[in-house]
Amino acid sequence: MKLLTRARSFSRFYSLKVAPKVKATAAPAGARPQPQDLEFTELPNGLVIASLENYAPVSRIGLFIKAGSRYEDSNNLGTTHLLHLASGLTTKGASSFKITHGIEAVGGLLSVTATRENMAYTVECLRGDVDILVEFLLNVTTSPEFRHWEVGDIQPQLKIDKAVAFQNPQTHVIENLHAAAYRNALANSLYCPDYRFGKVTPEELHYFVQNHFTSARMALIGLGVSHPVLKQVAEQFLNMRGGLGLSGAKAKYHGGEIQEQNGDSLVHAALVAESAAAGSAEANAFSVLQHVLGTGPHIKRGSNTTSHLHQVVTKSTHQPFDVSAFNAAAAGDVIKAAYNQVKTIAQGNLSNTDVQTAKNKSLFLAKSRWQQVEIWDIHVLLMSCNVEAHITGKS
Amino acid sequence: PDSVSIKPLSWFAPVLSAMSRGVAGALRPLVQAEVPATPAPPVLDPKWPILNQEWLSGQTARQPLVVSVSLNVPASVHYSHTDIKVPDFSDYRHSEVLDKIKSSRESTTAVGFVSSMSASADVLAMSKIKIKLSDIQEGKNMAFKWRGKPLFVCHRTQKETEQEAALELSQLRDPQHVLDRVKKPEWMILIGVCMHLGCVPIANSGDFGGYYCPCHGSHYDVSGRIRKGPAPLNLEVPTYEFTSDDMVIVG
Repeated sequence: MKLLTRARSFSRFYSLKVAPKVKATAAPAGARPQPQDLEFTELPNGLVIASLENYAPVSRIGLFIKAGSRYEDSNNLGTTHLLHLASGLTTKGASSFKITHGIEAVGGLLSVTATRENMAYTVECLRGDVDILVEFLLNVTTSPEFRHWEVGDIQPQLKIDKAVAFQNPQTHVIENLHAAAYRNALANSLYCPDYRFGKVTPEELHYFVQNHFTSARMALIGLGVSHPVLKQVAEQFLNMRGGLGLSGAKAKYHGGEIQEQNGDSLVHAALVAESAAAGSAEANAFSVLQHVLGTGPHIKRGSNTTSHLHQVVTKSTHQPFDVSAFNAAAAGDVIKAAYNQVKTIAQGNLSNTDVQTAKNKSLFLAKSRWQQVEIWDIHVLLMSCNVEAHITGKS
Repeated sequence: PDSVSIKPLSWFAPVLSAMSRGVAGALRPLVQAEVPATPAPPVLDPKWPILNQEWLSGQTARQPLVVSVSLNVPASVHYSHTDIKVPDFSDYRHSEVLDKIKSSRESTTAVGFVSSMSASADVLAMSKIKIKLSDIQEGKNMAFKWRGKPLFVCHRTQKETEQEAALELSQLRDPQHVLDRVKKPEWMILIGVCMHLGCVPIANSGDFGGYYCPCHGSHYDVSGRIRKGPAPLNLEVPTYEFTSDDMVIVG
């Protein structure tokens, strides 16, 4: 009896007893930490490093690479789609199993975000575990192995990923928009074309990585990480592939029209015009124009009084609708969507208060310290190399 | 052991969540997600078949597409800050509560069990009292037993009501306007329990023509407001309702 009861008392809350005891460190009493400025370095090989100390308990590190879908050519369409699905595969320094378990063990996150211009590999973790996750990040970006059986295992995911993403009509609209507006480069879809399912090979993936994941095209950005640490990491590990890599074809805007018929009850349309390249002085003006036309704020059940487009369309129809201004700044070319009435505004029928409000809104978003936006904000500043002008709002 | 994380997001439903990396099997998901022969893609947004302005608001794209794939988070595509939706948890919910139009409070089993523990119908019936107002003459105060307490129903004269209304509120210990204490000025319904220590006051007595508590000498006026004596508050007014000119239900 005695043995049983003792065993029972031993087994109760067992996991609590053997769990490592975490001492909560008391917050240092004293002066509040001062907000830090962005620290910026450009290495001689072209790699750009930026970091910001935001005193958050979670550190975020992002490696932004100019390796988006615009750098595909007609032979290897869909490579970037498979590439960003293949972020968890075996690398030279760590197997897929090790990557998955290692990240899960510290409660971190590894994610890939892909746009037409860039591919961003982001890791997030608690401050103390930064070195573990940086190791995985470097493995994934500099030395992936793309073993053919592993790549074969994720091929079915291309189809499913695309099918599910295209259930959303916005994806159709934006992909068609780019396909109609450009002749090459930016016309490439983010998703693999149907005829290429099962045909993207590991060799193509390797070729893409060799030629596009080079130091000069990368930016290493950290939030909550110290700058010297990032710099050391970049100097030691991210200089394997130098040079500018393959420059993509220059995007040619030619305009056009695509109509995709389906049985939906809603019509989705975009009317597009070309505007300025990201980083040019005019890009800020277009950003202001976007906000003047109406991008938000989104108030549930509100009447969108700040949006010119909304006001105009409400007068012409009683059916449910939604309209907004769309702005996509890409290095080299930009597209901006506007509705029928944009002509009026373009001809200068705008009050000064409207323009000022829109400027403030655009600046607010640019300066916003909201975590999710921070890392992208820094990236946009760096990639456009127009840091000063963007922050001070000179247009 | 392989674990499949079933996270039905409204975006990327069971098909893709079966492929999203669980802890053990980054390469080999437990359920091989195959696209069916006649592709009927999983319905992303089963919650909103209603086409209206509110649902459409915020749906248009404001920024270019951003695709995001992650190790332990289901994949997603962003085109606007309002495109992130609350996931659909219909798989986890009881079938009774899935109907959007019906109130979920009416039909769940849990509500049935809990409400069985509340008061039974005969007890609830005993909690209300119906009073026939034509039995009470003008100037008369009737007392009824209700919920174990005396209930005073007083049919007041016009003169009495006017007199009361004229009084200055700042002079009262518990300031309350006469009209705030009644629904119809000629019918005064009070609970006849003194606010001091709970004796039953006597009607039509005391210095103010209202109620007088003989235990410790609290004087109330015709509206039941304390005017003199040790009681701190006015007499309590219960909830009541005039169902017709002749009938009032108290409680």
